[in-house]
Amino acid sequence: MNRLKAGEVNLGTSIMAVQFDKGVVIGADSRTTTGSYIANRVTDKLTHIHDRIYCCRSGSAADTQAVADNVHYYLQIYTQLNGTPPPVEVAAGMFQKICYENKDALSAGIIVAGWDKEVGPSVYNIPLGGGLFRQPWAIGGSGSTYVYGYCDATYQDGWGRDETVDFVRNTLALAMSRDGSSGGVIRMCVITEDGVERMFVPGNELPKFWEGREVLSGPAKKLVTEGVMPMSVE
Amino acid sequence: MPDMAALAHPQQRQFNPYSENGGTILAIAGADFSVIAGDTRQSEGYSIQTRYAPKVFRLTDRAVLAVNGFAADGNMFVKKVKQRLEWYRHAHAKDMPLRAIARLIQTMLYARRFFPYYVYNILGGIEEDGTGAVYSFDPVGSYEREACRAAGAASSLVQPFLDNQIYFKNQRPAAGTSHPAHLPLPTVLSIVIDSFTSATERHIEVGDGLEMYVVLAKGRTLQGLEGIRGMQELTATEDGERVFIVRRDLKRD
Amino acid sequence: MPSASPFNGPGFDFTNQVRNAFILEKGIPLPKATSTGTTIVGCLFNGGVILGADTRATEGPIVADKNCEKIHYITESIRCCGAGTAADTEFTTASISSNMELHALSTGRQPRVVTAMTMLKQYLFRYQGHVGAALVLGGVDSTGSHLFTVAPHGSTDKLPYVTMGSGSLAAMAVFESYWKADMEREEAIALVTAAISAGIFNDLGSGSNVDVCVITAAHTEMLRNYSKPNERVEKERAYRFRPGTTAWKSEEIRKLVVSEQVTPIGGDAMDTD
Repeated sequence: MNRLKAGEVNLGTSIMAVQFDKGVVIGADSRTTTGSYIANRVTDKLTHIHDRIYCCRSGSAADTQAVADNVHYYLQIYTQLNGTPPPVEVAAGMFQKICYENKDALSAGIIVAGWDKEVGPSVYNIPLGGGLFRQPWAIGGSGSTYVYGYCDATYQDGWGRDETVDFVRNTLALAMSRDGSSGGVIRMCVITEDGVERMFVPGNELPKFWEGREVLSGPAKKLVTEGVMPMSVE
Repeated sequence: MPDMAALAHPQQRQFNPYSENGGTILAIAGADFSVIAGDTRQSEGYSIQTRYAPKVFRLTDRAVLAVNGFAADGNMFVKKVKQRLEWYRHAHAKDMPLRAIARLIQTMLYARRFFPYYVYNILGGIEEDGTGAVYSFDPVGSYEREACRAAGAASSLVQPFLDNQIYFKNQRPAAGTSHPAHLPLPTVLSIVIDSFTSATERHIEVGDGLEMYVVLAKGRTLQGLEGIRGMQELTATEDGERVFIVRRDLKRD
Repeated sequence: MPSASPFNGPGFDFTNQVRNAFILEKGIPLPKATSTGTTIVGCLFNGGVILGADTRATEGPIVADKNCEKIHYITESIRCCGAGTAADTEFTTASISSNMELHALSTGRQPRVVTAMTMLKQYLFRYQGHVGAALVLGGVDSTGSHLFTVAPHGSTDKLPYVTMGSGSLAAMAVFESYWKADMEREEAIALVTAAISAGIFNDLGSGSNVDVCVITAAHTEMLRNYSKPNERVEKERAYRFRPGTTAWKSEEIRKLVVSEQVTPIGGDAMDTD
């Protein structure tokens, strides 16, 4: 089944959220595509939902923006009615309800993360069909399939802020290097009780891993570079 | 990531060997001359592949061929026609007559009846009796001799204009007069230029450049061609028919 | 909201949907909509935002209009370029323009660019891409200069320079090569003109002239046909036909001036005081 509508703007994405003792770190690449054309190379896929709640969007740009705008609107009403900021669980529940009830019309894979006074930091994953799963870390989008192994092998409980930020940055760089639909820059947010800190890694400063080398240490034979003439064309 | 569920079902794949490269060609026969013209834009979809790809080719001093449709097939077809004409020269020590070239083209096109050359051909030149002639072909070789013909992307725009201006269709002559059977060369060239400037304005695949070939019957004067801007003679043999080319710019948007 | 007629509700009329599907099944294609196979761009600069557009409208490979206007009015200081189905871009921008005016009247404030952007995206999202409008929205409001793209499915992007339409790749190539932050007015106009020209000459769907619109906090300047790189060349011949060229089968001459006699019957003349 092809979930995306023809000609639709796609967030062929790498997104991620990780919990740590004092908060959460969320991150995303910045590529938006229509077919093979990059419609936006500096997209912000980390979307503000409430003071301490953000979401990472993957799938159709139109669908995820519409859903996020709706939840943002309802949480403002919630805050006015209750006089307190909403827990992350409530926000995630709203996302889940919309994604589940409209599963036939939506292609949206969303990670909701944030901090609240009830449970502290939390990460919720809402994959395509509209399920809702609380996880210590979550990855999503087309690029995530390349880095499940890396995350399983690397993640450990009890990390602090800086280790978590490094983990998110490294994971996204790996996903972006393998997934053609992901790329650009890395955007990250650290959400704690004290506030939201935005971080930015430019495309030319992404962490580097093994990138390959000349097969069998260098060219097999010396390349002829002198006396090379352009081919004459009839 | 490939969709595994989709791969479980049988899937049909198809290779399409053809494409459509736009542009327009036309030819008009006079009493003792023939004009064969084409624009030089080659495009695919909304992209221009090149602003200069000739669609009109001199075959002999008395025959010029215009090809339009799928450019790769067109170029290959012209190449093969030229090869057959060279073989004819080696065998008979003369150029093939126009009506024979027309029949040869029919044979070559019909030989590919079930994998056709995706091209419309218009052959123009001078017959053995010294009259100007135009032969037009469909992609599988059906052909007829006419006084004028337009083909290609903007043929539906140009052909009605030619019908009106060459055949005087829908024009009633003034009382006591009649329409001329043949138009003079300068008039024909003006009509050709106006056909292409108009097609360029209203058809997105037409533009960039215009190449007009003029074939003049044996022993004729230049008939006003001498004053034409950008004219160049291409004749290869002595005291026979003469071939000229006139180039003009067209709008590039 | 009162409806114009008790028999027709507001919004689109779908009564021919089943009939058209049947006709389509019979192998008769639906009529082609005029498309603005277009180049449209927008660019932020020092004191505001500049929008640009070509002026060609097409129906398939035929040029339907050689000098159409693709920069639409939203409010005095917000304008919107449209690409895609001409009818959709024209109607959508006109409808949002109307709602923006009503919004300004009811709030007593000048509405913001984000307001127009939100109205557009919600409208387009509701129609799930069936309203084929790809837009470049730009303007200046109390919060500064803003530039957005709105795709047909309702997704939006906020960027310092944007392009849309079939010529968007040609135009974006110019922006990606020469754009810099905080350009001056004249420099930005030149860049927008170069981007549109790239579309006009390299994309078959775009052509004719360059329209530019400069929006600043002080005022909006619509530079219609700012550049005309494709003037019509003069024809070789004059195509005037001798009177009597067209044949006719019968002739009937009728008098079009109608005179009638009106006789008032009883009653007084109406009192208009």
